[in-house]
Amino acid sequence: MSDTPSTGTQPTVAEKIFTFVDERVGLKLLAAKMLNESVPGGSRWAYVFGSILLFIFIMQAITGVLLMFYYVPTADHAYASTQYILHDVDYGWFLLSYHFWGSTAMVVCVFAHMSQVFLWGAYKKPRELIWLVGLALFALVMGFGFTGYLLPWDQRAYWATTVGVEIMDKMPVLGDFLARFLKGGPTPGQMTLSRFFVIHVMVLPAALIALAGLHLFLFRCAGPAGPFRGAPAELKAKTDYFFPRQIWKDVVGMAVVFACISAMAFWEPVVLLEEATPDPGDYHPEPEWYFLFIFQHLRLKMFSGELGQFLGSMGLPGLLGMMLVLLPFFDRNPERNIFKRPFALIGWVMLTASILLFTVSAIINRDFLD
Amino acid sequence: MQPQLKSKVRCLDREVGEVSKIIMDPLSHEVSHLVVSMNGTGERQVPMGAVQVVTDGLVQLRSSSSEVMGMEPFKREDYVTLHEVEIPGLEKQIHVTPGEVLVPFPELERNVKRRAFFANLTYVTGLFIGLPLVYPVMKFLMKPMYAPLDNGWLKIGNIGKIKTEDIGIQFQYKRKIKEVYMPEAEIEKNVWLVKATPAVLEKVYQGKDVEFLDASGKAIWTNKKDMPYLAFSGKCPHLGCAYKWRKHKVLGQVFLCPCHLSIYDASGKVLDGPAPRSLDMLPIQVTAGGEVQIIDMEFKAGTKSQTRIV
Repeated sequence: MSDTPSTGTQPTVAEKIFTFVDERVGLKLLAAKMLNESVPGGSRWAYVFGSILLFIFIMQAITGVLLMFYYVPTADHAYASTQYILHDVDYGWFLLSYHFWGSTAMVVCVFAHMSQVFLWGAYKKPRELIWLVGLALFALVMGFGFTGYLLPWDQRAYWATTVGVEIMDKMPVLGDFLARFLKGGPTPGQMTLSRFFVIHVMVLPAALIALAGLHLFLFRCAGPAGPFRGAPAELKAKTDYFFPRQIWKDVVGMAVVFACISAMAFWEPVVLLEEATPDPGDYHPEPEWYFLFIFQHLRLKMFSGELGQFLGSMGLPGLLGMMLVLLPFFDRNPERNIFKRPFALIGWVMLTASILLFTVSAIINRDFLD
Repeated sequence: MQPQLKSKVRCLDREVGEVSKIIMDPLSHEVSHLVVSMNGTGERQVPMGAVQVVTDGLVQLRSSSSEVMGMEPFKREDYVTLHEVEIPGLEKQIHVTPGEVLVPFPELERNVKRRAFFANLTYVTGLFIGLPLVYPVMKFLMKPMYAPLDNGWLKIGNIGKIKTEDIGIQFQYKRKIKEVYMPEAEIEKNVWLVKATPAVLEKVYQGKDVEFLDASGKAIWTNKKDMPYLAFSGKCPHLGCAYKWRKHKVLGQVFLCPCHLSIYDASGKVLDGPAPRSLDMLPIQVTAGGEVQIIDMEFKAGTKSQTRIV
């Protein structure tokens, strides 16, 4: 008795290749394990931000590598090579602008992702480790933004970095060493550019890939937390697999983000200020928008004086950071419904509102500075 | 205990077959049903509620064989194996051992002391490679961090530029610097000069000459307290921004830093804002012809005490 399939069609080339690899690697099983992760309570739009962040990182890596074909990280060529990319290389303006707006998109999505995890209580047992690795990833993303900003070597880049590193200098004990290490000396210069470049294109990407891998692994160990409401039977009935329904939502999210970044790259392409000089002249130093809230609250009277500046720039953010790290350890209440966690809800609202407030007030403040 | 595969299944009246599969609930991670192979007459799906007791090799049901025959036939297409789906944490809950697959334990590996020795040897080799590298790598990275200071005098302009007393006048000058391997560059810097009246001078010097020392403690220069020209470093002691001389609504003519709104009077004293100390004074000389010279120094920003860094 023949055991050929009743349809009698020959396998396609693609199917043959797939079978070849599958026999040696177990591709079918691997694909099943990767794609058939069950999402209790069904796929949700709220869950897309993690995948979107991965997408943004990959795009940043691709555009970043392309930029490196032309960018030269020395003080005498950084500005000129960046201008060359912007004005002379075909679509250079688009790639650099995409890279620039991509970093903004990354920060926005990091905030969205962290908020979603926090509000859904998905940092609670058994997901504490995922949360901690996630906080480390958050720090890396901020590091990327800070180091990348210097590279064009225009006034904006140079001065935002100078002020930022001086703030780091205020850390007790290690501050001076750390600031000199980052600057490559007592003042910003070529050494600073070299160090920021290596950190931005090698050290941070390696760390991000490693930690993101760990983050995903830990996430798969624990499984998606799912909705914070609903009886177990209800959630089981609505269980989706990761593929296709959550993947489809993730893909739509990625497409939307790609469209937004591209639109910003078209409408607001990168424009450099004059080349960096040690004298800021008429330029008012300002950090990237996602550091503006710290920049602004350092202007408050209560943070004046050496101790005040330390508290405002390192003490308070440091305290907030510690609280976030300890969050899954002092919040042991298994309740995940945000509407039954008043402290969590109020805390999140207050933090988000104050960050928004300080950011907006920093922007308004610009007009009053001359 | 959990039922085991291949355990015999017995009803109230007689033995009916054996456990061929286990079905687990993906949410509660507990066994929900047994699939009993009914001695050649197909498979039935038996809920765990029908199980009276599980012992080693035997599952006793609380129903009769005819009741079990009437239970749901098992539909394989409604289920997937654990290879085909990822249920986190499920495998930890299974104690069903689907037979054990054995391979011989190599003779050479049975010596535990030997394994410990080789593990330790790996660590020692790692330290042997890593430790000697720590110091050279640290020095490598630290090379440019603590450069020696330059105490050369720079000509920045002529006193004739200053017409009024107690007013800040900016002097812009160029300084040649050679940073590591970079070609010698000329950078633009600025200082603020004030021709001070005795009252302002008194505020600055408070009766004492100001001495500038080098790294070893030797005096480089002394600014005399009766010399009327003051030179302030162009960098704000708060965070290093360049500040300006401006008219303030309330405080009059002041030095104002646009970054964080530190305000200083003509003597460099802090009037308002986050600045931790007054403006940094620089060594200054004026020749007979009115030529002004300063030593370009930079001080660490944001600290109450003054630490020279350039």
